[in-house]
Amino acid sequence: MYKLLLCWRYLRTRYLALACIISVMLGVATLIVVNSVMSGFSTKLKDRLHGLLSDIVIEASTMEGFADPGEKMARIRALPFLSERIEAMTPVMEVFAIMQFSWPNGERVTRTVHLVGVDPKSRNLVGGFKEHLVQARSKPGEFSFELSPEARKRYEYREAIMDLQQRAITPVDPEQPPPPARTPKRIKVPCGVVLGNLIASYREKAGTDENGTVKYVEKYPLGTDRSEVIITTIGGERLMPVYDNFVVVDYFKSDMSEYDSQYVFVPLEHLQQLRTMQNRVTSIQIKLRDYATAPAVVKELRKMFGKDGVRVETWEHKQGPLLAAISIEKGILNILLFLIIGVAGFGILAIFTMIVAEKTRDIGILKALGASNGGVMKIFLGYGFLLGIIGAWMGTALGLSLTFNINAIEHLLSNITGGEIFNREVYYFDKIPTNIEIWMLVLVNIGAIGIAVVFSVLPAMRAAMLHPVRALRYE
Amino acid sequence: MHPLLRAIDLQKTYRKDANRVEVLRGLSLDVHEGEFVSVIGASGSGKSTLLHLLGTLDRPDSGEIHLEGKRIDNLPSEGRDKLRNHTFGFIFQFYHLLPEMTALENVLTPAMIANSAWSWWGRRKELRRQGMAMLERMGLGQRWNHRPRELSGGEMQRTAIARALISRPRVLLADEPTGNLDASNGGHIIEVLRNLNRDDGLTIVMVTHNLDIVQESDRVVRMVEGRIEPAAALVNA
Repeated sequence: MYKLLLCWRYLRTRYLALACIISVMLGVATLIVVNSVMSGFSTKLKDRLHGLLSDIVIEASTMEGFADPGEKMARIRALPFLSERIEAMTPVMEVFAIMQFSWPNGERVTRTVHLVGVDPKSRNLVGGFKEHLVQARSKPGEFSFELSPEARKRYEYREAIMDLQQRAITPVDPEQPPPPARTPKRIKVPCGVVLGNLIASYREKAGTDENGTVKYVEKYPLGTDRSEVIITTIGGERLMPVYDNFVVVDYFKSDMSEYDSQYVFVPLEHLQQLRTMQNRVTSIQIKLRDYATAPAVVKELRKMFGKDGVRVETWEHKQGPLLAAISIEKGILNILLFLIIGVAGFGILAIFTMIVAEKTRDIGILKALGASNGGVMKIFLGYGFLLGIIGAWMGTALGLSLTFNINAIEHLLSNITGGEIFNREVYYFDKIPTNIEIWMLVLVNIGAIGIAVVFSVLPAMRAAMLHPVRALRYE
Repeated sequence: MHPLLRAIDLQKTYRKDANRVEVLRGLSLDVHEGEFVSVIGASGSGKSTLLHLLGTLDRPDSGEIHLEGKRIDNLPSEGRDKLRNHTFGFIFQFYHLLPEMTALENVLTPAMIANSAWSWWGRRKELRRQGMAMLERMGLGQRWNHRPRELSGGEMQRTAIARALISRPRVLLADEPTGNLDASNGGHIIEVLRNLNRDDGLTIVMVTHNLDIVQESDRVVRMVEGRIEPAAALVNA
């Protein structure tokens, strides 16, 4: 009982201990804020990656892909174990390409892109596509690469005019017999293409909201159904260059810069024809009813396609290096930040050593009254524990308040410093994402309290080992 | 019949660096139950060291200490802690009250040490009543909620006596209890001790420099250079 009473009284009367509490509090608050923001970023990143990549991918190991994806999907559906667990599948062809287009001012742009041939119907079922299309996501029904009827008519008219012009400019030699009658030209309307949001757009400041956060608006100078792009890729067995004209029908905006600045989507069938790779694809993307079944499904698929030279991976395996890098980064940062609490621990050690010296005579009195060495030790361990608990609780409260108000704080700091601390153009988030995990709060609190107790051990042992007579005579 | 407390041929040497100070050189002493013994002697004669050894605050280099015939100087630390908590009561020259606690809490400290938090919670009312009664007896009933810094020297020493008595000890060991008090307060403290000895039969061993107050005790022993002076020499003194 005297241990509790003395711990409490020392806490109330020794203002030096406030320094320990503040140092633990700051360490805990820093850990909570940094972890919450990092977790917010990584959770958003994972959500976006998962949304884009589907649950499982059956992927060819070469650019030529594999033949007859329909047959593979039929084999998968035929197996009850898989068909029960798989919700949807879609074939995909991916290849590198060069794209050319002109800005409205006539400036020509040529850049490399990642060309993806998708089947809109099945891709809509797998997901991760339509919901990222700037225009189509707000429209009901399935997405299609078809041009609007007006655009289609415009291109048909243009083709017809060009054909007539061609006829008109063909010279007629009156000395020669008349040429055979020309077969009527089949009017070809360009196919639709979806461009990555960052390929042909820019962001413009559009004022601030009621909280003072700067708002941005995306501008698309190429518009839709009116701008053409030329895409050149490779096709055939000899990998000869092939190209075609496409009309921009929508923009893909996943908020993942790697995808939005590289990906260009065209209809799968059209890409197969262009590359003369009919009925071949480079991957089949699979959506599961329950992602928890992924390991079992992957195992079964590997068994099924083990001899076909394809890779079967979950999206997490596919993005393994990136996810591992995030995890390692978070771990290292946590270790470094725990050093802050470690520094607070050394503060506790120094201050407790002073308090033990100051309380030497009291320790002697307690021993003279029958307190055991263990009892005296527990006073100071309890004191460290109490400081740790109060520091950790205050740090948790501070950390949570900072995390909940991080955007307002960022705005305030930006106003004070005159520079934007969180550049929304770089991160593609309107707000700083945060994610508070309960287990993280518990671990940080346990760690902080543990460090406070561990650093109290040495002074507590010193107090316990004091000789009562020497302690009573201490001046 | 065994004396209540017996010291046999106690030797104690303090060492600091290369210096050796022989404080006790074969001291023997018997204290009987209900006796009020005063120990006098010059500074450095070993009076306080004797008290610390008798109260198990320290161990002799050689020799033995017996309580009711049982040897106590070689007990493990747990046993010695218990003895200090239950059997011996201490009073010091500088009161040695805990500054963070009130007078009542100081008085109750030995009871808090003896009881676990759970047991204390169960007995808190009874123990508080005992503590208050002890303070009342010392004339400090109104001062129970005062911190040591708010008490006078005499009040602090009476609080210390109340603390020493709360666990009903067999022996009260007083180390110069009036050494830091004026004559009036010192006289009052001696009166309190005398009454405790006479009325409650409490055994008291008191170390003092003050020859005026030793008349109150039953027996006076003089220490010279770490030994008890023979009784004849004491009579001549």
